Amino acid sequence: MRGPRVYLLLAGAAFRAEFQYRGNLFINIIGGLFYQGVGLAFIWAVLDRFGQVGGWGLGEIAFLYGMRLTAHGLWVLPGHQLIHVDEVVIEGEYDRYLVRPVSPLVQLLTRRVRLSSLGDLAGGSALLVIASASAPVDWSPGAVCFLLLAVVGGALVEGSLQLAASALVFRMKRVSPIKFAIDMIFSDFGNYPLKIFGPVAGFALTFVFPLAFVAYLPATVLMDRGEELAVPEWLAWGAPGIGVVLMYAAYRFWERQSRYYESSGH
Amino acid sequence: MPVIEVADLVKEFSRPKQQEGAFAGIRTLLTREQTVKRAVDGVNFTVQRGEMVGYLGPNGAGKSTTIKMLTGILVPTSGTVTVAGTTPWRDRSRNARRIGVVFGQRSQLWWDLPLRDSLWLISRLYDVPQARFREKQRQFSEVLDLGPFLDTPVRQLSLGQRMRGDLAAAMLYDPDILYLDEPTVGLDVIAKERIRTFVGELNRTSGTTVILTTHDLDDVEELCDRIILIDHGKVAYDGAVDELKTRYAPHRELVVQTDGLESVEGAEVVRREGGKVWLRFDPVRTPPADLVAAVLAQHRVTDLSIVEPELESVIHRIYADRG
Repeated sequence: MRGPRVYLLLAGAAFRAEFQYRGNLFINIIGGLFYQGVGLAFIWAVLDRFGQVGGWGLGEIAFLYGMRLTAHGLWVLPGHQLIHVDEVVIEGEYDRYLVRPVSPLVQLLTRRVRLSSLGDLAGGSALLVIASASAPVDWSPGAVCFLLLAVVGGALVEGSLQLAASALVFRMKRVSPIKFAIDMIFSDFGNYPLKIFGPVAGFALTFVFPLAFVAYLPATVLMDRGEELAVPEWLAWGAPGIGVVLMYAAYRFWERQSRYYESSGH
Repeated sequence: MPVIEVADLVKEFSRPKQQEGAFAGIRTLLTREQTVKRAVDGVNFTVQRGEMVGYLGPNGAGKSTTIKMLTGILVPTSGTVTVAGTTPWRDRSRNARRIGVVFGQRSQLWWDLPLRDSLWLISRLYDVPQARFREKQRQFSEVLDLGPFLDTPVRQLSLGQRMRGDLAAAMLYDPDILYLDEPTVGLDVIAKERIRTFVGELNRTSGTTVILTTHDLDDVEELCDRIILIDHGKVAYDGAVDELKTRYAPHRELVVQTDGLESVEGAEVVRREGGKVWLRFDPVRTPPADLVAAVLAQHRVTDLSIVEPELESVIHRIYADRG
């Protein structure tokens, strides 16, 4: 398999390059953990005051938060470099990717690694493991399997939106504000049970901006609260599949749009 | 056998028309009006295997745009490009294995890793057998003298060292075609010479086809037999370097160090300085030997030389004429 081998080769090079600045490593990981810890502390403060949010207690919210954060970390670890897509395309670094026998997207994603992503992933996984123990879930092997698939699916949902937004760069030249907005929506709305935002926002965050598929829908059915959903339960169980479909569509969109690449200077 | 075929190649860049007045930014975003700039306007040429071609033109003439279409970086608006049987932008990956590309302004190496690592990574990306890779690395280390900085991170290399590293990286997998975009820009004389020697040698021993764009016409004069001049997106001249000089600058100059030469038949005095006189003549009508004999017959000459026109001034004249 050439694809995965090349990916590992380039990702390895990015890691080696990052280790040239060794001091950065721990500061970055700790920074990532700290940033996410602040978010969790905020929710804990809210719950401490009100006891419940939309009928969800601390255990349930922590489980949702853990799923969302793990999915986020799982996407950001390989996908972080998309944040630099503006400069890569405007300054013509993308030229270089096009004259090598490797997918340009793979080269873009492996141009560097950001080690604080490891903090996101480690923090998310730790929280998910702890919260899973206290969450009201019947942990059958099937449920564990679904949880893992759902987390991967959630990473794909977030990744697909970021990839599709990044693809616009070939025509629009500057897409970081759009991508920043997407990131804000994920981190501001992703950690709460969606139903507290009301039916309109709930509909929009499911079918227009598919945030619900990242964690809310799969977490709800895992905790056997399916009856409180505004959508059929089978759709919630299908969340991992939605992630795959969206990522495939986003990748095709990226491929199409990249034909409009204009390089820099003529 | 042609290795590069370019037919009716056109590249247009269109931008939304800049709107003015209130909400200019938003209206620019929404407008359907486009300003179209035609950077390459119907270019045709073919390059034979083993040729070394200088692809020249002033800034903004469409030079880099053509090279970017040849290398598969840009998709043409219309026309066709065939490089070793494939369409570069459509079959990008296959094309990439057959070409080496060196951009003088931008390194292809991994900035934070030692040069040695970059070379190894390239060898893996291009599936070079490891024994072959070691042999190549040894060979390039010798010719390009990479040894002293193989273990230095690329960001710490001097420009000359980096260029040598880039050249080695581009030739590691034995590509049929080498594209050099301003390979000697910013280099000192010795570094320039080293690069030219390497490229010339490569062409002679491996038959590598070389497409060179440069502002340093000494590169072209030393390496290329053929040049393609591009201006306003069109081919202005395509042929041998010598023929270009004959066609656009048919005159030679005879420089004589002598006393009181006023005139001589078949030549025109164009300049005097100190004891030196510059005589311009057309070598077809006045054979140089006859002219020299005529001068020597009438004057005491202490020094004498014949000056070829420089490519630079020839090209300068062509662009000036085309205005």
